Amino acid sequence: MKNNTLGRAFLFLVIAGAIGYGLGLGIDFAIRGGLKFTASVPSAFALLFGFTAFFFGLYGYRGITRGLVFQVVGTIIGAALVTGIRALLKREIISPFLFTEPAWVFGALVGVVSFFFGVGVMTDWVKWARGIDTPDHHEDEPGWQKYFGVSLDHKVIGIQYTVTALFLLAVGGTFALIFRTELAASGLDFLTLDLDVFNQNGPQLYNTLMSLHGMIMIVSILLGISGIMNYVVPLLVGAHDMAFPRMNAFAFWVAVPASVLLLLALLLGGFDTGWTGYPPLSSRAPLGVQMFFLGVFTAGWSSILGALNVIATVVRMRAKGMTAMRMPILVWASVATSIIALTATQLIGLSFQLVMFQRLFGMGFFDPSKGGNPVLFQHLFWFYSHPAVYVFVLPGLGVISELLPVFVRKPLFGYRWVAMSSLGIALVGFVVWAHHMFTSGMNEYLRVPFMYSTMLVAVPTGVKFFSWVATMWGGKIETPTPMLFVLGSIVVFLLGGVTGPPNAMVALDLHLHDTYWVVGHFHDTIFGGFVFPFFAAIYYWFPKATGRKMNEFWGKVHFWLMTPSFFALTLGMMFIGLRGMRRRIVDYDPTLGFDGAHLFLTVCAFLIAISILIFFINFFRSIKHGEPATGNAWNSRSPEWQVPSPMPAHNYEVPFEVVGEPYDYGLPGSKFVEFAAKKAGTH
Amino acid sequence: MRHFIVVGILTILASVLLYMGLSAAHLMPVAASAQAVPIDWMWNLILIVMSFFFSLIVVPMGYSLVVFRRRRGETGDGAHFEGNTTLELLWTAIPLLIVVSFSVIGARNLAQTLARNPQAPVIKVTGLQWSWRFEYPADSATGLVVVSDQLHIPVGEQVLLRMTSSDVIHSFWVPEFRVKQDLVPGRFTELTITPTEEGSYKVRCAELCGTKHYSMENPVIIQSQADYDAWFAGELEKAKLASSSPEGFGQLLVQQNGCAACHSITGGTLVGPTWLGLSGSPVELSDGTTVNADDAYLTESISNPQAKIVKGFESVQMVQYTFTPDELSAIVAYIKTIK
Amino acid sequence: MSNKQQHPNLLSQGVFIFVYLAVLTALEFFVAVTFNSVAILVAVAVVKGALVLWYYMHVNKLSEGDESSHESYAYKSGTNRLGLWLFLVSDSFVFGGLMVMRLSLLGMTRPDLSQTLGFFVTAVLLISSFFMNRGEVELHNGNRQGFLRNTMITFVLGLFFLLGVIIVEWHAVPAIAEPILHLFGEPEGKPLLTASSGPAGAAFFMMTGMHAFHVLTGLILLVIVWINGKKGLYDEKQYPVEAAAVYWHFIDLVWIFFYPALYLIGTAV
Repeated sequence: MKNNTLGRAFLFLVIAGAIGYGLGLGIDFAIRGGLKFTASVPSAFALLFGFTAFFFGLYGYRGITRGLVFQVVGTIIGAALVTGIRALLKREIISPFLFTEPAWVFGALVGVVSFFFGVGVMTDWVKWARGIDTPDHHEDEPGWQKYFGVSLDHKVIGIQYTVTALFLLAVGGTFALIFRTELAASGLDFLTLDLDVFNQNGPQLYNTLMSLHGMIMIVSILLGISGIMNYVVPLLVGAHDMAFPRMNAFAFWVAVPASVLLLLALLLGGFDTGWTGYPPLSSRAPLGVQMFFLGVFTAGWSSILGALNVIATVVRMRAKGMTAMRMPILVWASVATSIIALTATQLIGLSFQLVMFQRLFGMGFFDPSKGGNPVLFQHLFWFYSHPAVYVFVLPGLGVISELLPVFVRKPLFGYRWVAMSSLGIALVGFVVWAHHMFTSGMNEYLRVPFMYSTMLVAVPTGVKFFSWVATMWGGKIETPTPMLFVLGSIVVFLLGGVTGPPNAMVALDLHLHDTYWVVGHFHDTIFGGFVFPFFAAIYYWFPKATGRKMNEFWGKVHFWLMTPSFFALTLGMMFIGLRGMRRRIVDYDPTLGFDGAHLFLTVCAFLIAISILIFFINFFRSIKHGEPATGNAWNSRSPEWQVPSPMPAHNYEVPFEVVGEPYDYGLPGSKFVEFAAKKAGTH
Repeated sequence: MRHFIVVGILTILASVLLYMGLSAAHLMPVAASAQAVPIDWMWNLILIVMSFFFSLIVVPMGYSLVVFRRRRGETGDGAHFEGNTTLELLWTAIPLLIVVSFSVIGARNLAQTLARNPQAPVIKVTGLQWSWRFEYPADSATGLVVVSDQLHIPVGEQVLLRMTSSDVIHSFWVPEFRVKQDLVPGRFTELTITPTEEGSYKVRCAELCGTKHYSMENPVIIQSQADYDAWFAGELEKAKLASSSPEGFGQLLVQQNGCAACHSITGGTLVGPTWLGLSGSPVELSDGTTVNADDAYLTESISNPQAKIVKGFESVQMVQYTFTPDELSAIVAYIKTIK
Repeated sequence: MSNKQQHPNLLSQGVFIFVYLAVLTALEFFVAVTFNSVAILVAVAVVKGALVLWYYMHVNKLSEGDESSHESYAYKSGTNRLGLWLFLVSDSFVFGGLMVMRLSLLGMTRPDLSQTLGFFVTAVLLISSFFMNRGEVELHNGNRQGFLRNTMITFVLGLFFLLGVIIVEWHAVPAIAEPILHLFGEPEGKPLLTASSGPAGAAFFMMTGMHAFHVLTGLILLVIVWINGKKGLYDEKQYPVEAAAVYWHFIDLVWIFFYPALYLIGTAV
């Protein structure tokens, strides 16, 4: 990527952003009859225009740019249509957010669908519907440009996922830094009651940022695991691509308009419900909550279709000789994750849809005054949102199991047990959801069975830990950066693991529920189960994708800065949680004496942010300037490392056959895969 | 073999030290209720298990990292060792046993925490954005009902809180009492507490309930029976007085319903407009018009808050209260006294 | 696989299954209006669902072994088949969630709707499934015209069902809905069930709405398959027709459970 291209993109961003802001300011002036610089409409226009122009500067009017233009235009057309109908029916047509709520919702839906047509991810399907056949392999553009348009190559899509996940990670992290700064001292410091930004006062803005931090991070994680699974699973099973390449591309591109909607939620009035969106709070929240629901619903499809693809790929596209018990552990973990994502995700989509309809049409699903039941929402919601945690962590645990033998130089201890424990966690995970609801007022007799099932998760999780320790025992342990992150993830996930059972014990949970104890606990599970393994995976497979290694020194700095800060952060959270610190509050009672602790937590959060910044610089610099690594960078037995890096466009030139166990390190002369002899004349 | 012995000793040492350190740190706040006793007992038990399992993984890991690290110049692989079924069965079965026994212990522990005396007096609790309202059992002599935004309980007496919400979900939590229970609109939930330590605590809403969730904290006073009786008599007196003058009744209603959480009487801006000097003054509305804050306006703004929205407060939605006409005019009469 | 000798076999099998389904539906209706046993209604729905799943949707094809090369049409169709079924599994969680919602909000009561009308629309959808199956078998036997004719009938019946639900049951066009509802024995001036009137209305509109959305997508697929079938695209490569048919039967399958849930079990409120 040429520097002047990037410069042009940023210039376009600023100019178009300013134009959008000015236009929005004019519209806002017309609506409210006064000038307000922090109103919603100017910021929303600035975001949409700036974002689109940035990609225009970078890439021209095609691919993602075209998609975003279509989304913006589609949104406006859809909203205008509803506004027109409302005008005919003599209903209200203007709100402080320009359009009324039904107009925004319909517009946003039209916008999302328009995006698909704009970006071009539907082209082949439209041709099929018209009876025109299309080739299975498209040739991608060379260089970086292929990442900004529709590509059917699973490796390109995997990288698209990963980079989008990192972008959202940065956005969600920035939100966290903003509210962590507010929390550094008691009292409303800058998020004050007379603040008025995006139609929200300080505490409302805090609630929005806190809620969006949750959901943006969740979407980031879903994209991150899709990134790992997309890039690695076809390589591990020896497929030339995923089973459904077009659906694969579609699943990625769904996430882009979804992210736009999530960001719009912040600007269009926000929502003060937390990522959980419990009604009745969410049925009275501002307009932002609708954008939030739609964004999550759309992003959910990315997860569902991606999961479908992974299962079909693993079932149908494995190389010769790869029996179930010879699949790499990461493949097992991906299947386990995908089973959950495929099915349970529908329930969060449904529960959010029900609240949307309750708001739009007055349907009283969760409204007690109309015979509805607020607790029903929590059941539907957690039926996805608890297993979702296993969706987040199972691929990460798979990465740990996959990388550990490589750096310990010893077989994975108890392969079958580790493989089956992933499935065990996934299946038990379906029947534990109500442990989030011990204090909710649900039927009391449900508490004890859900305590039992929740405790049961500890058993397969324990099997993994014991197997990892046994794998390390007696090895020849090397500790390059990926291995450091693997070790970090084991310890952090362990901390998340041992702080889980207290929440499962109902009586104790009556104290712990909705406190910072829980906040600390789940940040440990998510960092240990996803963030650390995600970084490990990036450091590990970076040479496969680029032919270069990331810088070891800065990788180690990243690790040694992030890990202790993170430990301090979550232990501190758990400590104040036990002492009475509630979740999701913008201000706390100074008599509790938490000021010092919160200042400390804020410092830790900033240290983590700095370490992530170091990672980003290292990541982008190493693409061009990293140490070349075209061979078997980590001396691994895995098939993808038996061919030169970067991986060729259609993967393995000659198919391989599985002839041994995946992790037989230390067994002289053994091989996992063997490539067929290259025949002259065939490709 | 030597390795195993060393690691075994280190693991036990680490778990003991970890447990001792954690229990010496007094992680839990003061226990001020009978319900806290079983919960703190369980916490202690869990601490032991947590300390042990954390050490059981971390110590052998750390040991391996030091002892089995690749030394400079070494090139070979580790020992080829694929697994051990006995070991796997063992570390599946033992945790399973622990889990099962914890389930049994946990269920009994829960039963102890929830144990209740069927004769306990009932206090009705209502959560609203963003305050608490406590309705005490009717006075046997006069039949008057004391309603307060403070929770007073005589020490050692078990009470049953019968709770509901008038708007969104809230959650009743006094950290020193440990137990927590959500308040759900449209239904009643119950919580038994038996305070055991005199003192002044706070009930803190633990379920996100909107803009001022953070400040939904009301006093909880645990006092001797004599002090409680004195307080109750005083409140009863207030209730009697309130029934004589409309302003007094209005002030009582305002206090009981937590209006001050959003409307200041000193002129500062909270979530809603201040009441200081409001009556009779011109009010600028969000649609640009200006109205005079007469009795009709004030009455409408209480009973139908969304009818006229004051400029600058477009983004907040006031709770829909249901007051009788008498109560409404009493509140308006009270607001008129704030000059 | 494609074997001319199966011709009479498969066609007559379709007829038999249809007769079973019709008898069972009549039984359901009879049970509902007489002694209303929930256990029998659930059992009948499960039997009907299993018949559709096995004989119309051919779920057993999923486990068919095939040794052909990964690049062959048969193998790719197998992969597509797996993908479609995974999608249906995912989709059924939506309908399952709606069912949970209905049971939680309404319990053993049901919306106050005309049971005769419910029986009628159910019959329309069931008959459409029969013709869909017939169309698929005809194509399989190399009879393109038969396939087109039957698919067209399926489409018309499906459209009829969709319009019936929206115009009559949802009361979208009162001028048409009133006389029809009257015809099905609904008294004049009965209060309308609306989406915002209460839990029964909310559950009814949400469940039929989600189902109607699927019917709409199914109809679009039928149009595509019909047009391309007319061009002769499916004479050899028949998987798209199978996919459209399986999807259509899935819509029927969902209705097999929604019908008793909305029209039959419990007492009307």
